[in-house]
Amino acid sequence: MKQLVLAVAAGLVVAASAHAAPPAHYASLPSPFAPLSPSPPLGGGATSTSEGFRHHIAAKTSVDVSLDRDGSPFAVHATQRLDVRVLGDYFFTIGAPLLDVEAAPGSESTPGLRAASILWAGFNPGHRVLIARSTLDPAAAAPSLPLRVEVTPGRVTLVNTTGVTVGSYTADALVSPLVQYLAQLRRQVAHGQTPTSGGAYVTSKPTATGLRVLVPLRIRGTIGPRKVDALVEGDRLTLRADGAVRLTVTPAVPERLLDGTTAGLSGRRLLERAARAALTLARMRQYQTYLGNPDPTGPNETTYVYRSAARPLPPPVAAVVTSKRDWATTIAVAAGLLLATAAALVVWSRS
Amino acid sequence: MTRSLIRLVLLLCAALLTLTSCGGSSKATQHTPLTVVVNAPFSRSPYLGRTIENGARLAAGEVSANGIRIGDKTYDLRVTTMDTALSPARAVANMRRAVGEHAVAVVDEGTGIDASWRIANSAGIPIGVVFEGGSQIVDPVARPNVFRIAPTDHGIAFRLAEYLVPKGLKLALLHDDSDYGAAGEQALTLAFSQNRSSVAIDEALPSDALDLGPQVLRARRAHATGLLVWGRPATIAAALTAARSSDWNVPVFTPPTGSDPFVRQQLADHPGWVDGLTFASGRLTAEVGTGPFLTFEQKYESSFGVDRVGVKSSGRAVIVPPESAMYAYDFVNLIAAALLKAGSTDPAKVTAALNEVTTEGANGDQRAFNRHNHEGVVDDDIYFARFHGMIYVPVKDDPLSATLPTLPQTR
Repeated sequence: MKQLVLAVAAGLVVAASAHAAPPAHYASLPSPFAPLSPSPPLGGGATSTSEGFRHHIAAKTSVDVSLDRDGSPFAVHATQRLDVRVLGDYFFTIGAPLLDVEAAPGSESTPGLRAASILWAGFNPGHRVLIARSTLDPAAAAPSLPLRVEVTPGRVTLVNTTGVTVGSYTADALVSPLVQYLAQLRRQVAHGQTPTSGGAYVTSKPTATGLRVLVPLRIRGTIGPRKVDALVEGDRLTLRADGAVRLTVTPAVPERLLDGTTAGLSGRRLLERAARAALTLARMRQYQTYLGNPDPTGPNETTYVYRSAARPLPPPVAAVVTSKRDWATTIAVAAGLLLATAAALVVWSRS
Repeated sequence: MTRSLIRLVLLLCAALLTLTSCGGSSKATQHTPLTVVVNAPFSRSPYLGRTIENGARLAAGEVSANGIRIGDKTYDLRVTTMDTALSPARAVANMRRAVGEHAVAVVDEGTGIDASWRIANSAGIPIGVVFEGGSQIVDPVARPNVFRIAPTDHGIAFRLAEYLVPKGLKLALLHDDSDYGAAGEQALTLAFSQNRSSVAIDEALPSDALDLGPQVLRARRAHATGLLVWGRPATIAAALTAARSSDWNVPVFTPPTGSDPFVRQQLADHPGWVDGLTFASGRLTAEVGTGPFLTFEQKYESSFGVDRVGVKSSGRAVIVPPESAMYAYDFVNLIAAALLKAGSTDPAKVTAALNEVTTEGANGDQRAFNRHNHEGVVDDDIYFARFHGMIYVPVKDDPLSATLPTLPQTR
């Protein structure tokens, strides 16, 4: 009897609380996959002309950026390795602002050069490695680099240029699904899987808002004698340093967003964090894919190497010998000669 | 009377209106012709010449159905043929005529191209080579106007080496003294340079000899366990005859000329002699299967009829799939795409645009050139097929060939 009373009481409490809770509506969270800007990947990304099947491709790219004295990039080279699986024909175009392209050592085929793309065509007997070393137009390629280096005497500023402001929304939301979604993102990233989209159960009217998203950058290397090992999660990092820059930059997982504690956070705060995490992963994926991968779900990895270098000198201009005389002088001389001739004729005719 | 007069005037007005509107319509659909020249050996190698011409005509007809719209004009492609008779001098003279006729492109078998390309290049005219595979023919830097859609000798030789060396055969490398055979010799020498132990003997064959018995006997005495014969179809037929008539059942391998109908026609009385002949060529079908090529073949046959070999297989007439026609067809389609891309009929602009366009080929594969590579058939696309009963089937002991279906070759 006592148990029955307790059960009924508990049921009444649940019913009452359910009645009190506002209705929750499902709302999609931003995609952790869709690019937030047209570039990167450069040149609209990659395409694969499919003949009824899809190649599985792992892409690994190394971007070499040559820096001027003040840190301005004046040359950009990208070496992309495509590890292509699945037997069959392939025809890939990798968009890029190209000046030139060649096969790199170890490539099992030779890339083709077009005005705005690298071309790969052939037959894959089951596994084929395609490696292209591209010389990119620095003016077109530099704006899509993740880092800008500003060198002033005694000081080097590393500017994270991955930032972008995108549209999102804010609302009150149920906590549990958001906690689960963040855990799901964390698991997928840890296992190297492509993160999947999720949703929230909002309990108030969503309000449009803008979110500034920035990819954390892991920066290692040296500036002159000084060693650098930093995670730049903000807009910039200024270091007291002088000398040649040699830095390796990789887009890093936003661990603070994925791994930070969720305990005690309101649904609204969690919603903002989940949206930010998804958007940051989408942005990170963009910078991991500086050159496109013909397999849209294939893994991508890009390492950016910044080095101080001497800007190649322009070829010497051939010395052009120019006459110092101008038209006025020429006309005056001609007129003088004519007058002299006329005078000579007059003198001769009277002699 | 007045009513009938009015009726007459109205009728006259209606007739005039119809006439003027007819005139307007014909003016609107008037197409300006652009000439595509086919420079091929029509008199000395009629099958090859005709199939190249037919492929070009088929594509030109399809393109012209809608026309190529550039600016406010619509253009047609018109095909004009010129016979090289396998003579470089005539090929060069033909190229001068093509320039004189303001051709927008030339589809070429390849004879005499080493001299004729300059003439075309001076006018900016692109040349599409659709048969000869010599490595010197195509060079995007030195010969920016020369493109090719045909398997390269380099690719065929390396694929043959890749296929044959692991079999442990001792090969007799036989080549005839034609341009085609000489280019093949160069390619084979390079391909087997790292595997000389697989070569029993190198032998040049006179291309006009009817009996190659002595040369084949020398190969046999050199303990060759395979013949790799690179030459015109007549040479391949003569080499097969010499080997088989002396009861030497040695495996014979050839470049694409091994599949030329002439070989089977010459050996029609001894169909068994053709059995086992293995040739390397560009694949006729793509990953998607036989569909695209069979569609092309149907269009080809309904326009020009069936190319019969003149022999039978299991009681049925054997036909030739239109391979060289396919390459000419694809090149003309690329020309049409390049005209659109260039937005101009200036041949030099069309040549530049050819580096930037891709079309779907007759076999379902992508056809494309680029600034570094003017080859439309990549070496990877070379497969091997073996004859049995006068028709050929892709081999099963090569990764690419094993994936390819057999094309119907009888009617």
